Amino acid sequence: MKDHAAGCAIRKAINWNRMQDDKDLEVWNRLTVNFWLPEKVPLSNDVQSWATLRPEERELTIRVFTGLTLLDTVQNTVGAPSMLPDATTPHEEAVLTNIAFMEAVHARSYSSIFSTLCLTKEVDEAFRWSEENPHLQAKARLICEEYKAGADPLKRKIASVFLESFLFYSGFYLPMYWSSRAKLTNTADLIRLIIRDEAVHGYYIGYKYQRGLETQPEARRQELKDFAFALMFDLYDIEQRYTAELYDGLGLTEDVKAFLHYNANKALQNLGYEALFPPAACEVNPAILAALSPDSENHDFFSGSGSSYVIGKAVATEDEDWDF
Amino acid sequence: MLDAVKPALDYHALNAMLNLYDDQGRIRFDADRMAARQYFLQHVNQNTVFFHSLDEKLGYLVEEGYYEPEVLDQYSRNFQRRIWAEAYARKFRFPTFLGAFKYYTSYTLKTRDGQRYLERYEDRVVMVALTLARGDETLALRFMDEIISGRFQPATPTFLNAGKTSRGELISCFLLRIEDNMESIGRSINSALQLSKRGGGVALMLTNLREAGAPIKGIENQSSGVIPVMKLLEDSFSYANQLGARQGAGAVYLNAHHPDILRFLDTKRENADEKIRIKTLSLGVVIPDITFELAKKNQDMYLFSPHDVQKVYGLPFSEISVTEKYAEMVDDKRIRKKKINARAFFQTLAEIQFESGYPYIMFEDTVNRANPIHGRITMSNLCSEILQVNEASTYNEDLSYAHLGTDISCNLGSLNIAATMDGPDFGATVESAIRALTAVSEMSAIEAVPSIRRGNDEAHAVGLGQMNLHGFLARERIHYGSPEGVEFTSVYFAAVAYHAIRASCLLAQEKGTTFKDFDKSTYADGSFFDRYTSRDWLPVLPEVARLFGAIALPSRDDWAQLKADVMRHGLYNRNLQAVPPTGSISYINNSTSSIHPIVAKIEIRKEGKIGRVYYPAAFMSNDNLDYYRDAYDIGPDAIIDTYAAASEHVDQGLSLTLFFPAEATTRDINRAQIRAWKKGIKTIYYIRLRQTALEGTEVQGCVSCTL
Repeated sequence: MKDHAAGCAIRKAINWNRMQDDKDLEVWNRLTVNFWLPEKVPLSNDVQSWATLRPEERELTIRVFTGLTLLDTVQNTVGAPSMLPDATTPHEEAVLTNIAFMEAVHARSYSSIFSTLCLTKEVDEAFRWSEENPHLQAKARLICEEYKAGADPLKRKIASVFLESFLFYSGFYLPMYWSSRAKLTNTADLIRLIIRDEAVHGYYIGYKYQRGLETQPEARRQELKDFAFALMFDLYDIEQRYTAELYDGLGLTEDVKAFLHYNANKALQNLGYEALFPPAACEVNPAILAALSPDSENHDFFSGSGSSYVIGKAVATEDEDWDF
Repeated sequence: MLDAVKPALDYHALNAMLNLYDDQGRIRFDADRMAARQYFLQHVNQNTVFFHSLDEKLGYLVEEGYYEPEVLDQYSRNFQRRIWAEAYARKFRFPTFLGAFKYYTSYTLKTRDGQRYLERYEDRVVMVALTLARGDETLALRFMDEIISGRFQPATPTFLNAGKTSRGELISCFLLRIEDNMESIGRSINSALQLSKRGGGVALMLTNLREAGAPIKGIENQSSGVIPVMKLLEDSFSYANQLGARQGAGAVYLNAHHPDILRFLDTKRENADEKIRIKTLSLGVVIPDITFELAKKNQDMYLFSPHDVQKVYGLPFSEISVTEKYAEMVDDKRIRKKKINARAFFQTLAEIQFESGYPYIMFEDTVNRANPIHGRITMSNLCSEILQVNEASTYNEDLSYAHLGTDISCNLGSLNIAATMDGPDFGATVESAIRALTAVSEMSAIEAVPSIRRGNDEAHAVGLGQMNLHGFLARERIHYGSPEGVEFTSVYFAAVAYHAIRASCLLAQEKGTTFKDFDKSTYADGSFFDRYTSRDWLPVLPEVARLFGAIALPSRDDWAQLKADVMRHGLYNRNLQAVPPTGSISYINNSTSSIHPIVAKIEIRKEGKIGRVYYPAAFMSNDNLDYYRDAYDIGPDAIIDTYAAASEHVDQGLSLTLFFPAEATTRDINRAQIRAWKKGIKTIYYIRLRQTALEGTEVQGCVSCTL
């Protein structure tokens, strides 16, 4: 790891016209056009729908969202910043700061959901639950361990990819499930915006991991792979207990687990590794899988804002365009 | 067979399988058909109230106050049995899950607790037919036949409400003027609430409101402009909905040369401040030709204070043609003005469209040139297909009317192009549709908004739309936007125009009256018909001639005869056609929406009430996928050409959405807008974007995610 303070000794301005890795620009462009804020989603249109949930369903939903808030907070304040010193290009640093900021937006947006739909007391209880839940705390601890200063930069990336591409999904399942049943559809839109971001984050950090791995000798590569699978096993173990605790009441645990397997494989794929779970274990409920794609959704504009709009590239018209 | 493979899957999961390829890369249409079947087996049949006979059912529904007895009392019990028997004999089945799900979720009559269904599709169709036929048995049978065969589909408010006791209005859409005074603003908000409560979409024109910083009672810098009015309207619409059945929805239109135009657009910015952000109100901009001319010359465009314009001309800003008076107003010292660069304005427009899909655009001069009616068109509606003249009201201090003006309402219904082309009598289908829509107009009297009531009473304006163009063309193995596709559109719409005018002329003869100011229209002096009597609108390409087969198309002589009839007898309806975007009703009707290309082979439909559901394009199979290129793939040019061909024959407007990949730039959007304007398009509805998943992040095996 390079010494960050020393890195400041000679200040260099970032030059986006001299790219060492074109992927940095591609991902930067994608992340910036995808910029969004929770205020754009008319969450208040879900108030009626929220009232139709049973009390235990509401409690579950709030808990799931506090769990997600916790993970986003970790990624915002610890995860993404901890990878900054490991960056190999100045553009990678810029991308990571964007990732860090959007994680803050994600964490912020769960609070928008809460303030729109829930009572303060319910939310406070759920936040306390998130601080006391052993599984949630255990997975945050495992990840944070790898984020510590002095930790292995590549292992840090493994942890980060697992967080972005795997750990979030036990929580993402629920809003996708509700929306497939015509409940909380605007909340689901907001979550889909988060998923759209996390997919890019996991992919990019995984990509940087694979570039880092290429420079390592064989023995070290094997060590990292063993570490990755070992960490995945540990996290999976916690995750399935967390899932059972949350979803047993609704009888959805098996369905969520299939979704976990599917996403564990995706996380490993982001790191360049083979799948861990066989296809039969990854048969995600089609309604959930299909709900993941924000593309080309044809929504009713009058009740929602959709999740497919982006910030466009402005290009001035020329004389030839005004040919009439 | 799927039953054997996936016995545990519920209908939602089966439906979602449409969006995931099977292991051989084919779309699983069978899964969706299975979903529709399972939906009936697992849900609908179990939750439908059972009656032994029609008599028992109707007796119960009337007694319990679900059905309006006035509707049924117009007919003998024998006739009721006959029409119901004939409807059920058609053996109607929903071909898609979404069709069935949408119908039972949003249209059918339910018990008051919302738990059990009281109607099947056939019952709804018959009740609509009986309501609109108003006691005429022959007409009731005709309406039933047109609707259940899928040729004619009334718009949602009519189809949802007709014959029910607890219901909203039958009319879809309302347009209100706002004038530059507090009485008018207050009255408009009240009207917006009243109309939303009754289930209509409401559009309001803000063009005449004085701009931010304009004087009030001569004191400078007092007015807050249009934004706070928009906020009030947005909140009003969220508050009112039709018994929870439909979300209140509204749009506001502003002229491009209004000084608040940039602020107006900025309300939809991604990073707009919460105080000014507009989330659910739709925006529309009225653009005159002069704006394009200025942009062409890369000049500044002046924005004019409506307050001063009104003082100078003695007319509201909306009544002035900016194109005509532009130079004059620029030189007039009494009108305060500011300027922005015209090209920069168009670029800003496109930027906002990227971020939000808004604003809609109405090309003011194109619309007014094509308007056969006396008066000026100053705005459009929530779906940008209604284009009618209106007249300002003035108010006394107590909000009563000093002068009752006219505002606009429009009731809509659409023909399924494929079913109409397959039908036994093209002209009769169009005529039935016009009669059904006219009935809705005559049966409606919105007392809460007297200017709407007066407008409807004097105009009997209706809007006959069309849907399933892409489905029909694909079934016939013709590509959307191809020369054959465009020519078909032109010939088809000319024929619809002919029969719609013929039907309205018949109505004028039967009723012995015409719409108000018919004598000042270009129908009355005959000039409207010039383009039909001076050339043919018949197929030239053999492939298009094949499509029409034995359908009798109007010749120049037919048009000349119609012209003579109309000049002699007049027309009953001031407006006849308007092509709406057709969301919900096209799913029930198993059509592709409007005359658009499909948005995806498997459309992901999301709505508050139904959640996320998957819908296969009409007539699509694994063998004809080539003809189902989606709108993003087809691109804006083919859409504009198709709409231009239809626009020539539509007296009002057509909801035209443009589709771009997210990699497009604002320049691409501007170029499409310029092309649309050049080709005589009247309005542009949404701009829609599709972002392709970054390679490596896509959901695998997903139909609508693959390009």
